[in-house]
Amino acid sequence: MPLEIIIAGRGGQGILLAGYLLGRALVEKGYYVVNSEMYSAETRGGFSRSDLIVFKTREETDIIKVSRADIAVFMYHEQMYSYADYVKQEPKLVILDSTYIEKPARNWPNIVKIPITELARDLVGTSRVANVFMLGVLGYTTGLVDSDTMERTILSKVSPKWREINIKAFRRGYEYAEKNIRRVYIEV
Amino acid sequence: MPRVEFLTGNQAMAEAAIASGLRVFVGYPITPASDLFEYLSDKLPRYGGIVFQAEDEIAAINAIIGATYSGAKAMTATSGPGFSLMAESIGFAAMVEAPIVVINNMRAGPSTGIATGTGQGDIMQTRWSSHGHYGIVAFAPWSVQESYDMVIKAFDTAWRLRVPVIVLGDAVIAHTREPVEIHEPGEASVYERKKPRDPPGRFKPFKPDREDLVPPMAFYGEGYAVLAESLSHDERGYYSTRQEVYESLVKRLVEKIERSRDRIASSDAYYTTSSRVLVVAFGSLARSALALVRMLRKSGVKIGMWRPKSIWPLDEDGLVRAAEDAEKIIVMEMNLGQLYLEVSRILGPRGKTIELVPVISPQLPSHEELLSFMYKAGVKIG
Repeated sequence: MPLEIIIAGRGGQGILLAGYLLGRALVEKGYYVVNSEMYSAETRGGFSRSDLIVFKTREETDIIKVSRADIAVFMYHEQMYSYADYVKQEPKLVILDSTYIEKPARNWPNIVKIPITELARDLVGTSRVANVFMLGVLGYTTGLVDSDTMERTILSKVSPKWREINIKAFRRGYEYAEKNIRRVYIEV
Repeated sequence: MPRVEFLTGNQAMAEAAIASGLRVFVGYPITPASDLFEYLSDKLPRYGGIVFQAEDEIAAINAIIGATYSGAKAMTATSGPGFSLMAESIGFAAMVEAPIVVINNMRAGPSTGIATGTGQGDIMQTRWSSHGHYGIVAFAPWSVQESYDMVIKAFDTAWRLRVPVIVLGDAVIAHTREPVEIHEPGEASVYERKKPRDPPGRFKPFKPDREDLVPPMAFYGEGYAVLAESLSHDERGYYSTRQEVYESLVKRLVEKIERSRDRIASSDAYYTTSSRVLVVAFGSLARSALALVRMLRKSGVKIGMWRPKSIWPLDEDGLVRAAEDAEKIIVMEMNLGQLYLEVSRILGPRGKTIELVPVISPQLPSHEELLSFMYKAGVKIG
């Protein structure tokens, strides 16, 4: 069975970039990844969703869309409610941005609820990199991708102007998780 | 040597075009084809090609028709609303036998529909977009790798037969990333035009070779008299209303594709041996359909799937073979029944029960959601 990951939020939160970077890093690690995107027409507001189906090898790659997420990341309350049905009853990890989410939509186990957007603003200097701060949290907590691979991916795929601040965001997120979150190693 | 990249369907199509020797891309932005345009704007000029934003889709397609006549491999990319605007010139390209490649990433219609939603509503439009009777070739990829491979095949077919070739992508595949094996620029194997064998004085621009019915192509500037005549024309390219001239021209435009059917028509079959039920699906929906088939097989249902890779022409022999053991055929498509009409035409006389699962949804259903659409349509497996 593949590992299913859903990342969703409002347009403008960097959901699609986060999904791409995570997918790219997982491909680097040798996995076969299908990463699909859904979004509304607005550049800000509206919805934004990135699905990742992660396979050990290239077999059975018929699925494009997440239907039972093992890992769910919700950055905004509206999309958490919209896509709660796409999360397994017993997910391995649910990350919620408490800046925009008061309480979880379901009685999920393994919830990590932290104010990602606020932490990015306070610890990195801008809330615009909340998405990559989240990847730091996810990276440490799951052990799915190591820091080296993720940072290499950020360096090669993020535009030069934004490289440094995104590396900083990833590191701060990772460090924050090291200090505050219990690891739940996840394997494909 | 091919290398593996992690690309979207649109990026893969752009890479395939570059690998095929694309020199001219003219487009007009529209979701979900704008990012293909954007990707080429950055990349194609580095390989000496031209990317140009026209004032609209009509100008875009006419510009690439002109470009092919000057010897350039040329392409445009659009979606439903833009494709509708291009309709007239699809017929123009067919008539003057311009080897253009048009990508139509289908989105939710009709009209402007839902810009970021997906769809499969352009099946019949692709076949009959322009007035009059002519031949057309269309491929429908279901993965990023096929998006890449089919654009190369589109260039190859366009130049081999001098026909407009449509690649019918959809919003889902256009914006899905998968690992994809790609070639270096210009490294894909694509048919080069048949050059004129007669000297300029004796060359007739629309005189076909007897075998494949395709006329050798002279480019502007090579010293030949080249006419691109959209009116009924004789082998010289001169306007003619004579019965036999008109009849042989129109028939040839269709027949040259028929003669190459074996090279173009293609499909894949899954678990069809001794399956009582056969699902027919294409493009991104076929992914969810195959996942559903696998799920049902696990619970003991004898069900298989057939997926056309070329939509026009359809691999009719492949469909008949795949349906041999099936009593019931279930066509699943994101419209209210278009490929269904073709499947009914082909399999109806063979005594099969043919049912339709129409999926009208701006988003690709997962395999489980597809099962709900099946229930909604009242289609039963047993």
